[in-house]
Amino acid sequence: MPKLVKNKARGVLQNGFFATVDDYPIAGGWGLNGKLFAVGDASGSVQSFDGTSGRKIWENSEAHVGGIMSMSVSSNGKQLASVGQDGQLALWDFADGQLQHRTEIGSGWVEHVAWSKSGNHLAVSSGRVVTILSSSGEKIWSSENHPSTVSALEWVTDQELSTTCYGRVTFFNTSSGKENERLEWQGSLVSLALSPDGNVVACGSQDKSVHYWRRSNGQDSMMSGYPWKPSELAFSHDSILLATGGGEDITVWSFEGSGPEGTTPGVLEFHKAPISSLAFSHHQRHLASGCREGGVVVWSLGRRGGGHALGGAPVNGSVENVYWRPDCRSLAAIDSEGGITVWRVKKI
Amino acid sequence: MNSPSKVPVTILTGFLGSGKTTLLNRILSEEHGKRIAVIENEYGEVGIDQALVINADEEIFEMSNGCICCTVRGDLIRVLGNLMKRRDKFDYILLETTGLADPGPVAQTFFMDDEIASEFSLDGIVTLVDAHHINQQLGRSQESTEQIAFADVILLNKTDLVKAEELDELETRLREMNRLARVHRCERANVAISTVLNLEAFNLDQVLADHPTFLEPEYPFEWTGVYALSPGSYELSLDDGPDPTMSLVMLERLDPNEEALQQGAEWCVRRYAEPASKISPGNIVPIDQHVELQLQISGQKSFAIEIDKQTSLALFAQHTAEEFNLRLGASDNAEVLPVLERTWVAQHEHDDEVGSVAIEVDGDVNPNKLNAWLGKLLREKGIDIFRMKGFLSIAGESQRFVFQGVHMLFDGQPDRPWGNEPRHNQLVFIGRNLDGNTMKREFEACLN
Repeated sequence: MPKLVKNKARGVLQNGFFATVDDYPIAGGWGLNGKLFAVGDASGSVQSFDGTSGRKIWENSEAHVGGIMSMSVSSNGKQLASVGQDGQLALWDFADGQLQHRTEIGSGWVEHVAWSKSGNHLAVSSGRVVTILSSSGEKIWSSENHPSTVSALEWVTDQELSTTCYGRVTFFNTSSGKENERLEWQGSLVSLALSPDGNVVACGSQDKSVHYWRRSNGQDSMMSGYPWKPSELAFSHDSILLATGGGEDITVWSFEGSGPEGTTPGVLEFHKAPISSLAFSHHQRHLASGCREGGVVVWSLGRRGGGHALGGAPVNGSVENVYWRPDCRSLAAIDSEGGITVWRVKKI
Repeated sequence: MNSPSKVPVTILTGFLGSGKTTLLNRILSEEHGKRIAVIENEYGEVGIDQALVINADEEIFEMSNGCICCTVRGDLIRVLGNLMKRRDKFDYILLETTGLADPGPVAQTFFMDDEIASEFSLDGIVTLVDAHHINQQLGRSQESTEQIAFADVILLNKTDLVKAEELDELETRLREMNRLARVHRCERANVAISTVLNLEAFNLDQVLADHPTFLEPEYPFEWTGVYALSPGSYELSLDDGPDPTMSLVMLERLDPNEEALQQGAEWCVRRYAEPASKISPGNIVPIDQHVELQLQISGQKSFAIEIDKQTSLALFAQHTAEEFNLRLGASDNAEVLPVLERTWVAQHEHDDEVGSVAIEVDGDVNPNKLNAWLGKLLREKGIDIFRMKGFLSIAGESQRFVFQGVHMLFDGQPDRPWGNEPRHNQLVFIGRNLDGNTMKREFEACLN
């Protein structure tokens, strides 16, 4: 296990706690208004830590045989959903780790899970099929086969879900199960981000480009020339900024006015390895980024996409993901060495 | 958690029914101490009894890497990306493609995507062939032809369903299409695991260890007969055969043993390279010379052989004795039988679109000319060149330069020093409709 990261946080980041899990952490999430932080790992274990002290609160070491694929926290922070290689969805009481329900989804990997915004529904995908479930884990409907494996899913509203697969973004009405819209583009899509206002759909593609559509007028555009595939995308809370990580630099496009077409993006330079995680804070244009050689930075961004670093801290392995606490006063990072690092974020 | 060594990946191709699932199960059930993850291409395929089996779709897209574009498999990038995080749970990956898959994008994925290339190494491409059906399949489908062309190892499976001579013919056909591949015959895919795993076929350090010389010797003659002869006149007679002429070189004092035959064969190859003198029936056939017997007239044709002292005479003939009912008679008309016979792997003109072009030339190449030629070749024919391997003697460099490639992707590095070894070049290309003579001429123009 890695050594403790000592007192190296700078700027707005201040040391909180450091904990470890025994295998590669795949997914994390804050629950109970930031009281607990949960992590699921490649061994199939789900566990939670006190959000302030880092003390382990509960652990289910055999949550999913074969490993966790994805997790999602309900909007009220009381339920944790996990999916794994065992083809199952599990629902946990975030407070004590009690299993509430387990649902057999399919025989293959269940790769993605997401709670709807209200917390009334869950969407999961396994192979080419998306399934919608109730908050208690009862299946409501399953989609037909997508043309290929579903590579990402995200809720647009409480009644609409978007999915990506090879060459296509599909929007489903989750009440009727019907397709609302289909956006097609011949490319292997690796990431998906929706602007919180629901208007812009952005996808990163294996061919090192970002493609986006405006749903209001059907207009679409492409930004290419990334040195690395843009596997990380994040929209700011106000739907103005799209941060993209396709290399060591973060490229930020501004949708203000008639942009980003014809505008120059903001470029955030600091990381010395490809960006592996991006997350906007829930209330401000503050962006947290992590890279493959460790290192988390918090940026303050302007409306045009430019910005500067507010603080940063090293971590041991490649940063798998970063998570803002609901009140954005803490930031958690999980890394490839099994580390869970939590910093307090000073008020700016 | 992350070990620095790369996880080897074997690609398993072959038509439906060629025995891929049987082979997979054999590998997985064998005690080899490896933890193997299997990536399968067909949803709903049954019969693989193993925990870590992942399905993948065939998502082919074009990827650009600076100056070259090529197709790769997006689904594999994603699945392998997922597996990377679990890499302490397995140490080998078997990637089974559908019977109709093009192996090109699969192989290229391991070179074009930086992330994949840094964690996984393509170990080799194994192609299973249903000996009973492959002849038809090769005629009908481009995919089966490409699967042969890409292979490092060809498993000629279900040999129990085919007669021995058909197998020989089939093996010859496959070898001509792909001279770099090793061919193993098997029934029910019962091959040693070591023949399909850990081939390191794309590892430049291994490329030459596996093929010290890429080229299996091929001879311009198919048959040799050695005769013990006393001084006197002999008559060589031939009936009608498949060709209107037959090349021949006769060699004296050749001991009737394999070693002497091999040496004689090498010597005869050089004689065969010389222009042949045409000999009509009724004339004397000179010894130690390349001759072409004229067999146009129908019926039995006879040629004279004069022997002045006791000797052991070897006939290196373009065709087998059987094809022309070739016989040697003494002056008393008694037939003289050979004391030793041997057949050779002959060079063939073949009809398959896909074939191997081998270039072997002494001397040093000019690196600028070579780059220009190779650049042009890959630009114009990159799609049609499936695999290439070889080594080069580059002017001014003390080390051999070894290379390998898939389509337009080229990978090369300096190898061991030449030392006292004569400097020469060997290149093998496997591709579709390659013009071997032009390629050879153009390569020779790159020599200093």
